[in-house]
Amino acid sequence: MSNTPNRSELIVVDPKKRKSFPDIKELFRYKDLFVVLAWRDLRVRYAQTFLGLIWTLIQPLATLAIMVLIFQRALNVDTGDVPYVLFSFAGISAWTYFSFVFKESGNSIIGAGEMIKKIYFPRLVIPLSKAVVGLVDYAVTLLILGFLMIWFSYSPGPAILLLPLFIFMTIICSLTFGIWVSALTIRYRDLQHVVPFVVQFGLFATPVAYPTELVIQRIPKWASILYYLNPMAGVVDGFRWCLFGGSPPHELAYVSYLVIAIMFIGSLYYFKRTERIMADVI
Amino acid sequence: MDNYTAIKIDQIGKEYVIGGSVSGDLRESFNHRFKSLFTTEKKDRFWALKDISFNVEQGDAIGIIGRNGAGKSTLLKILSRITEPTVGRFEMKGRVSSLLEVGTGFHPELSGRENVFLNGTILGMKRKEIASKFDQIVDFSGVAKFIDTPIKHYSSGMKVRLAFAVAAHLDPEILIIDEVLAVGDAEFQQKCLGKMGEVTREGRTVLFVSHNLEAITDLCNKGIFLKNGLIESTGTAIDSVNSYMRSFHESSEVLQRTFPIKKGSGYITQARFVTDKKTPNFEYNDKISFRFEYLLNEDLPDAELNVDLCRGTEKISMYFGREMRPGEKSIKGLNTVELQLPVGILNKGNYYLNLALHDNYRQFLDIQTEALSFNILNKHPRYADHMIKDPGVLNLDPFGKRAE
Repeated sequence: MSNTPNRSELIVVDPKKRKSFPDIKELFRYKDLFVVLAWRDLRVRYAQTFLGLIWTLIQPLATLAIMVLIFQRALNVDTGDVPYVLFSFAGISAWTYFSFVFKESGNSIIGAGEMIKKIYFPRLVIPLSKAVVGLVDYAVTLLILGFLMIWFSYSPGPAILLLPLFIFMTIICSLTFGIWVSALTIRYRDLQHVVPFVVQFGLFATPVAYPTELVIQRIPKWASILYYLNPMAGVVDGFRWCLFGGSPPHELAYVSYLVIAIMFIGSLYYFKRTERIMADVI
Repeated sequence: MDNYTAIKIDQIGKEYVIGGSVSGDLRESFNHRFKSLFTTEKKDRFWALKDISFNVEQGDAIGIIGRNGAGKSTLLKILSRITEPTVGRFEMKGRVSSLLEVGTGFHPELSGRENVFLNGTILGMKRKEIASKFDQIVDFSGVAKFIDTPIKHYSSGMKVRLAFAVAAHLDPEILIIDEVLAVGDAEFQQKCLGKMGEVTREGRTVLFVSHNLEAITDLCNKGIFLKNGLIESTGTAIDSVNSYMRSFHESSEVLQRTFPIKKGSGYITQARFVTDKKTPNFEYNDKISFRFEYLLNEDLPDAELNVDLCRGTEKISMYFGREMRPGEKSIKGLNTVELQLPVGILNKGNYYLNLALHDNYRQFLDIQTEALSFNILNKHPRYADHMIKDPGVLNLDPFGKRAE
């Protein structure tokens, strides 16, 4: 028991002097909590399934199979020097992570309702822990991608050095959507039903199974800007450029990156605003 | 804030909006926005807490008492930072742990061991800290043999013991604790009280909400009596308990109480008077009947609802569920129990009922203290000719005979 009250931390709660941005330092102090929550999700997800972790592989591989069938075999999509399997699996790996975090975050706050009503912690830990859980699947798909590249003996160019940046961007973009949807679902429960639709629609609105040029060349400029308003469009372009070289992302891809930055900061503000009523409305 | 103050609370208030559209679906929300352009709608608001100010010195153990709905839980939630006050501010110095429930975040699929780490982290312990205290925690819980079994195979008693063992090994400077003692068996409750006593003797600051007035006077040095969201009185624990008891002589209004949904095997859903009266105020010879409902989520045929009839801090009589519905077993789903008090037996005064739902193994599933309260307005005519102020609690028939 410490007898030095001066050194203890001081907590001040004052609704008049409310902060409008999440306390990042505090969040860092709670890192054990999101690791343990992520670990719980992972343990529980595969606790009683027969195939366990193999499920992580089945979903992206099944998507790959259908993409090869439709876009390569049926539509004969041209991906230049890059083998189609490699090309589309790169897109699928980023997209699978995005859709996982987005979907899991949707109900995350409501699902953790019992905890939120009984104990204090920065609520941002909940969507964050979903982004951490997803990293396991993401790492597995990236590993498969690596194997595929060796299999096709495809060696990447110098742009590979920027790969961590685009992986980071994928994570931030997914987290942004996760934070928005987790906070919004508290007020608007309907959003739970909108999320699967957005994920399905997004899979085709994002250059996952086809090269961006194919679309950009055939639509007017304003429509291209609209296309890149989808933040994942720019991210997938950049991700693929790092892996396979070729020409860098279209200049309009910066629209995507700007959208991510704005939405990410916005999500933190909005989450903070919603945080204080969470325990009362769940 | 000086060095010896642990908590300084300044004019705290919490307002809730009843039936407001804080949460809803999209259509509702748009409708609401649209309507509010043309009408100025008045929402029902109420202050769950108002004007709460007090200081807590380091090492104080403060008992917070009051009837259901007086704002005790809201106050603890605010001080635990689960919800924000609408107005006012407070400062707290020191490492805070709040225990509003035992076993927060427990997951049935995970083993006892994994749940200790999970629950400990949620309560604010570091991983290393839990690892170093792990053996002590398991020892204290008494479930060492099953520590690697998923807790879905545990009995409810085992779960509670494990959860409390984790909580007991927190090392806070300020401990905020809600009626966690209302679960588990009598032995377990004793263990909890013992641990609480230890914590207060070690000089930690404790805020404690309980209906167990004896525990309050035993464990706490100061008391706060809340009534309808306001501080009614503060002082020593004994003073506060006394003024709380005096408040029972005031009239009550409620004829029916519906209790919030609870998770778990079962809970008490409703308690009400069966009467034509508008308020629960009865003549000495009125028939007084009650109807209780409880919901079981599992097949627990031997579960029963016991009712204590109380006045002040005394239990006057106890009724068992099996007496109220003889020969009938509890069913999974909604169960109804009726109780009629013997006519003409209670004297003038204020009475209340405590309800407890037990399962087959004598574990409490749910407790509702002061579920209903009522007044007997007048004395039995037997006393009418006398100037006796307090004829006692019971009006038992005299059967004396002349001494030879």
